[in-house]
Amino acid sequence: MGKAIVKIKPKKYKVGDIVKVDFIAIHPMETGMRKDKKSGKIIPAKYIEDVEFFYNGKLFTKMDIWESTSTNPYLSVNLKITEPGEVKVTYKDNTGETGEKAKKIKPKAA
Amino acid sequence: MKRRTFLKTIAATAPLVAVSTPTLLSAKATPKSPNAMDLKTALKAITGGKAVTDSDKIKLVVPEIAENGAVVPVKIHVTHPMEANNYVKTIHVFATQNVNVRCADVHLTPANGKGYFATRVKLAKSQDVMALVELSDGTFIKTQKPVKVTIGGCG
Repeated sequence: MGKAIVKIKPKKYKVGDIVKVDFIAIHPMETGMRKDKKSGKIIPAKYIEDVEFFYNGKLFTKMDIWESTSTNPYLSVNLKITEPGEVKVTYKDNTGETGEKAKKIKPKAA
Repeated sequence: MKRRTFLKTIAATAPLVAVSTPTLLSAKATPKSPNAMDLKTALKAITGGKAVTDSDKIKLVVPEIAENGAVVPVKIHVTHPMEANNYVKTIHVFATQNVNVRCADVHLTPANGKGYFATRVKLAKSQDVMALVELSDGTFIKTQKPVKVTIGGCG
């Protein structure tokens, strides 16, 4: 599976702040409706289906994604910062391929 | 002979039967997504027929005109608490006229802090983008906005 990126915005935050968690996966998100121009054959559907967001091992957001989401899907949610640790995003596509990416959570002193 | 006539009839009424007979169409007609689902069916599946009211609690941000239908930014802000017993439970994003209207079903928790979701979607043609929100008490609210697409986004 391709690369993935997790970004926390803003870069500086403290406990109690609500930050934005941006997740981008490098993935074709093929709908299964496109034909290969050379062969005329249908390019099989290949798209990310499940995405889970964890904060220190606790699931805080779960997404069902469909092929109408753009290629290299960008998915963003908020997270309330309560403690230092790590955000981890795991994802799976309809062919069974999986991937994950983590980002450290380091709140500044209040 | 019978099959040929049957297929011609099917082709003529394709929009009506597309969702229910994908296997019959797949051999001869334009490729259909195995996930093909129209808005009415998707709404019924999610709400179970419950009432859905339009609400200005949902701020849906989409461009009026999308130059590239393959990558249309969508931002949703729901003005609603995110507390243990009262929070935004799920945000559904629909491209109301795509073959599969479903883009994303986002299941939130109070830990999110805010009812917010942003993504980029493919719009096959000019259409409404809809945000359907389920609150923790089981009520459904929605809003929608039209997006004009100059170049369609499904290849």
